[in-house]
Amino acid sequence: MTGAATAEVTPRAATWPAWVGRALAVVAGVLLVAYPMVSDDLFYQNMLILSLVFAVGASGLNIISGFAGYISLGQGAFVGLGGYTIGVCASKFESVNPWWWVPLAGLVTAVVALVLGLVSLRSRGPSFVIITVAFLFLVQVIAVNWVSLTNGTDGLSLPLPTWDRDIINWPFYYVLVVILALQLLLTWWIRRTKLGMGLIAIREDETKAATIGINLPVEKIIAFAASAIFVGMAGAVYGYYLTFIDPRGMFGILLSVQLVLSMLIGGKATLWGPVIGAFLIEYLNELANNNFGGGNVRLFLFGGLLVGVVIFLPRGILPAIESVLSWRRTAGKAGLVGARIGTGGSLASITDRVQKVEPSPNPAPLLEVRNLSRRFGGLAAVDDASFVVPEGSITGLIGPNGSGKTTIFNLIDDTIHADSGEVWLAGERIDGMRSWQRAHRGLGRTFQITRLFGEMTVLENVVAAQRSFSVRQLGRIAVGGAEARAAEELLEYVGMRAFRDQKAKALSYGQQKMVELAQVLMLDPKLILLDEPAGGINPVLIERMGEMIRELNSYGKTFLIVEHNMPFVLGLCNPVHVLARGRTMASGTPESIQSDPAVIDAYLGDDFVLEEKAGTP
Amino acid sequence: MEELLQNLILGLLLGGVYALAAAGLSLIFGVMRVINIAHGAFLILGAFIAYSLWDDLGIDPLLGVVITTPIVFALGWVTYKLLVAPIRTAPMASTVLLTFGIALVVEGAMGEIWGNNSTSVRPSYADESFTIGGIFLPKAQLYGGLLAVVVLGILWLVLTRTWLGRAIRAAAVNPSSAELVGVKVSAVAALVFGLGIAAAGAGGAITGVLYPFVPGSHYQWIARLLAIVVLGGLGSINGAMLGAVVFGVAETMTAAYISPSWATAVPYAIVFAVLLIRPQGLLGTRLREDAVPA
Repeated sequence: MTGAATAEVTPRAATWPAWVGRALAVVAGVLLVAYPMVSDDLFYQNMLILSLVFAVGASGLNIISGFAGYISLGQGAFVGLGGYTIGVCASKFESVNPWWWVPLAGLVTAVVALVLGLVSLRSRGPSFVIITVAFLFLVQVIAVNWVSLTNGTDGLSLPLPTWDRDIINWPFYYVLVVILALQLLLTWWIRRTKLGMGLIAIREDETKAATIGINLPVEKIIAFAASAIFVGMAGAVYGYYLTFIDPRGMFGILLSVQLVLSMLIGGKATLWGPVIGAFLIEYLNELANNNFGGGNVRLFLFGGLLVGVVIFLPRGILPAIESVLSWRRTAGKAGLVGARIGTGGSLASITDRVQKVEPSPNPAPLLEVRNLSRRFGGLAAVDDASFVVPEGSITGLIGPNGSGKTTIFNLIDDTIHADSGEVWLAGERIDGMRSWQRAHRGLGRTFQITRLFGEMTVLENVVAAQRSFSVRQLGRIAVGGAEARAAEELLEYVGMRAFRDQKAKALSYGQQKMVELAQVLMLDPKLILLDEPAGGINPVLIERMGEMIRELNSYGKTFLIVEHNMPFVLGLCNPVHVLARGRTMASGTPESIQSDPAVIDAYLGDDFVLEEKAGTP
Repeated sequence: MEELLQNLILGLLLGGVYALAAAGLSLIFGVMRVINIAHGAFLILGAFIAYSLWDDLGIDPLLGVVITTPIVFALGWVTYKLLVAPIRTAPMASTVLLTFGIALVVEGAMGEIWGNNSTSVRPSYADESFTIGGIFLPKAQLYGGLLAVVVLGILWLVLTRTWLGRAIRAAAVNPSSAELVGVKVSAVAALVFGLGIAAAGAGGAITGVLYPFVPGSHYQWIARLLAIVVLGGLGSINGAMLGAVVFGVAETMTAAYISPSWATAVPYAIVFAVLLIRPQGLLGTRLREDAVPA
């Protein structure tokens, strides 16, 4: 308990007093709603209408790009698709009031976004950016060539508004305000739920996110639909407002650039950043068009801003302001990062979740690996490996560097697909399953080089683990309730509770190892794979790690451990499997392994003598 | 049959020009993991410079490559030092946005300097052609394609036969180790960026003779080049060359036998299909994902 008591925990919202933000938002909202009533300046009304459209577009983009980290240069296509939905429908069904097509436009756009979401299942990073550009141009080419539907490059005219000319812009304006409000509500809701936390985990490290039970395809596809539905509606209003649409205007790359720029300059992954950015950029855009003749000046403006933002303001306006505020607030106070890792609480406080288990004298296999193989080009990293991890055991996996230990871990949790072979967990065959499905069935795993979500706090990192999956669960509040309490208890157990509100990237390697262990324990796994738990940490922590493994084991957790620290492995594990050239060459008790001439020859070496037992954990 | 053969030859010559420009893009990605969206813009810039040399000074645009290329190289080198170097360690998506911004600025600059009207470079041989056994070969296409192969050959020699080439490959595989054994990685990176951009500029000088262009043409070019590079495998120069030849032939054939207006959709469709079905491209390799350093 000492760890938590000695260090004062900094409150999470130390950056920005909540009421200031809320008051600013209310003031901005009131001004926005009141504007058309107090001013009939059509120039500014036009500018605000366009700003609203781009604000919706940028906020939508924020869901996939800001939260999930999938940068898209195709977001403008959703505005265009909305515009074209209303354009095509209004010209085919002239008797219907065009406003009815606005929700339909949202739906059509969301469906197309689902397709892009499916694409995101197979490509990420730069490939995804390239694909979104290709997607935008492909949609544009289709709009140009499908003349019977879209009237090609000649474009489509929409019916003129029928209402009073005095309030000609009001309907467009207020419908857009409502759409923006809905979009922001959606963004706000996503951010504080499990869904949003999963998306941020995906942004930080997608492969890792899968291993702690985050269902990647469902989360990403929901995010893509959410990023497009209101944008399509706003696009429809935009098209109706313009009364004329053509492929060049609706699917131009500059529209997408404007949306990306708005999001970046305001601050990605923030609620208000994209909105602020959209109004700012649209103002500059109008300025460039009116005062400097548009065209090339607009290119300089957007290009120059894009370059400038990426180099000088990569996090955007709002996060920059927040970090200045928090820097001033915390100036002069010592940081926590260098503090000692606590000696840890006992498992007693979490025994309602973990039952003490008597070891069975004749245990069944919990994990069974049969004839597992994986080749990298000509190299057989894992070659027909087979072994068993008995239930309730602490099993060791040792072998020379390059013998395939980590690759076997990767194959067991599907970080890498196996070429062939079977993996059975608790009597169920899991080799056809994806990482998160395996996690839900009780498989937890730490990485040799720790992989925490750097931008998340320590507590968020632990809570991010999802023990099971249901769509309804995605809507639950991300950090709260019994779950958050359990996470804190686990952090206490590994001695990291004092660091609860630190960003994970600020921690040292040894501290990260402890947090990663807590994160995996949050899954309540049956089997825990530890990749070099004693590597790179100090002797005291190694000892503590050994204690924790033993204690967890006494509560029924089974372990499979890869480790090069021989005293640690041989003092802790039984049985031990020895891997060489991608296959198991020997298995047995630590004593039999130490005296096996083949193992001595392949790995331990002739001069290997296990040091006196006193030094072992 | 002769028509098919002719289209095949034209496609191959076009593929040579594509290969030159795409090799530069692939080189830059391979060494510094930057997807240079401004590549198409520098290509068009090469075309405009060749146009000015030809129009104002009467220098043949193809022979003028010896002047165009160094100019574009210098611009690429400066661009790297000023803009790309400060964010070398940023995530890849940031560099995509950065180079996109550079592309827009270059486009605007070209519009200011040369105007937004369709420009073409038409040396005396532009309308002449050879006829060999019923096969009709425009001189511009033939000279342009052969010149591209020569420049590409020089680039290949630099990369495989010189100390600089070894330094480039070392920096590509492991920058920190390369630094340890005496390769100045930042200097090599600037040279690579310059070389890659120069290849685009040389390609642009050649294509300026083949097609009319405007500053905004760079969008088509970057789409095409990305399609080629993605097809061949990001970062693999040999893959880029193979992809370019396949692409040149495919594009010529689509335009000749299907419809020129849908031919514009080909690159985008290829990007989509390749990245979905075989993300590593024809000759690319998948990297190990679990071994990423923290």
